[in-house]
Amino acid sequence: MYSRGLYALRDLSLTVAQGEFVFLTGPSGAGKSTLLRLLLMQERPTSGDLVVNGQHLARLKRRDVQEYRRNIGFIFQDFKLIPTRTVMENVSFVPEVMGTSEAQQRRRAFQVLKWVGLQHRLSAYPSDLSGGEQQRVAIARALVNGPSLVLADEPTGNLDPDLSLEIMNLLREVNAGGTTVLVATHDRELIRLVGRRTVTLDQGRVVEMV
Amino acid sequence: MRALAYSFRLGWAGVRRSGGSGAFAVLAISLAMIVLGALLLITWNGERLLARWSSAAEFSVYLRDDATSEERGAIEAIIDQSGVGAAREYVSKAEALTRFRREFTDLAALAANFDDNPFPASVEVRLRPEAEADGRAAAVVKQLGSAAGVADVGYDSEWLGRVAGTLRTVRGAGLGLALLMAVAAAVTVATVVRLGLHARRDELEIMELVGAPLAFIRGPFVAEGLLQGGIGAVVAVLLLAAGFAVTGSWWDTEIRTILAGGTIEFLPLPFVGYLLAGGMIVGSVGGFAAARHAG
Repeated sequence: MYSRGLYALRDLSLTVAQGEFVFLTGPSGAGKSTLLRLLLMQERPTSGDLVVNGQHLARLKRRDVQEYRRNIGFIFQDFKLIPTRTVMENVSFVPEVMGTSEAQQRRRAFQVLKWVGLQHRLSAYPSDLSGGEQQRVAIARALVNGPSLVLADEPTGNLDPDLSLEIMNLLREVNAGGTTVLVATHDRELIRLVGRRTVTLDQGRVVEMV
Repeated sequence: MRALAYSFRLGWAGVRRSGGSGAFAVLAISLAMIVLGALLLITWNGERLLARWSSAAEFSVYLRDDATSEERGAIEAIIDQSGVGAAREYVSKAEALTRFRREFTDLAALAANFDDNPFPASVEVRLRPEAEADGRAAAVVKQLGSAAGVADVGYDSEWLGRVAGTLRTVRGAGLGLALLMAVAAAVTVATVVRLGLHARRDELEIMELVGAPLAFIRGPFVAEGLLQGGIGAVVAVLLLAAGFAVTGSWWDTEIRTILAGGTIEFLPLPFVGYLLAGGMIVGSVGGFAAARHAG
């Protein structure tokens, strides 16, 4: 609930099975991003509970929040890459701040960058990359710690249709490996092409589940 | 251990990146540490000299010109029986005049014009340090002041007390000033570190989102403050040492005269260590205050 008394999400009851791929869709302001922010614990619900992997998020303490997030990969529309770091550094940075050894950081980062097809751009900076390449770096960063849940907020919002499908195919591959994927998008055509369970939100409520 | 290495690596990068604002923070810490160092230098040397002077404390019993040898014997008996003296010496009127001529050669001409010897005979007593400390000396001096044949008793303790009092005042005022400057320096460091924090806010946001431990998120900012504090303290110690060397070489004779032959020394290593640690603590406090806004 917002401070001025409006509800961002209301009467929401949603279960996502482990290993499932789910689209969240709806118009702007429907509550898609808010739901992802709640799941990433960037916000806390004013009432109700969210349970992820058996953990009640409302009960998590600050230290537990950081530990909980280590099991989640996130992808944003604006990529959120660090402009002063190379592709390799943007990805290896995640295991680095978890205290992983340097050799392991580089090995893991290289593996995921190779998987997203950017092994030839390791030394490039984000500003040298196309939008699709930047989003692939963001996907590599989301996957480098082997999360069980990937949250993507409008991951194709800044990309053309071909690149959008390419990114979705990558997420499908991630999901095929057993990772739960939750994608917020308003791109109906993309949802139709990928063809997975879709939850439609409007004014903070679930209005359709297909 | 990895968090520590990571924090210092990024902290050092932060110090280098901070440029002019970082130099300002280092200067603020240097000034605070110079004040604290100068205070330590003054009070430590003051206490050292005070201890030296106290161990050599003495009193002089000036005899009336008409004092008889029996009265002088009674005075010496009081001194000997009290046990306060480490040594005792009788100085006759003639010897007192000779001393004056020897020690104040500039005034020798004046002394030559005396019609009569104006200096009294005296009994000089060098005190045992414990007699000075436990107040027995003061009691004996009081007793001697009313003894027959005594014109006056001169006792060092009053000016030693005044020196000790001045040292206490200097220490109190200096500590207050140093504390104030340390707080100002910590605030400056916090402000500078926060500037660096804003420059890295994208990185910090991602660190938070990937679940990085707080030690990795906040550690670099605390390390940055600690390093700035350490550099500031090193600069302060070097400036103090240079100032001390210059002062010593320019005014060595004057200092020796003022201190009655005593010398001043630079701070011993443990005190230098305290200054360095102080600078690092002040810097860390500033860094920690800023780091609380990260994560």
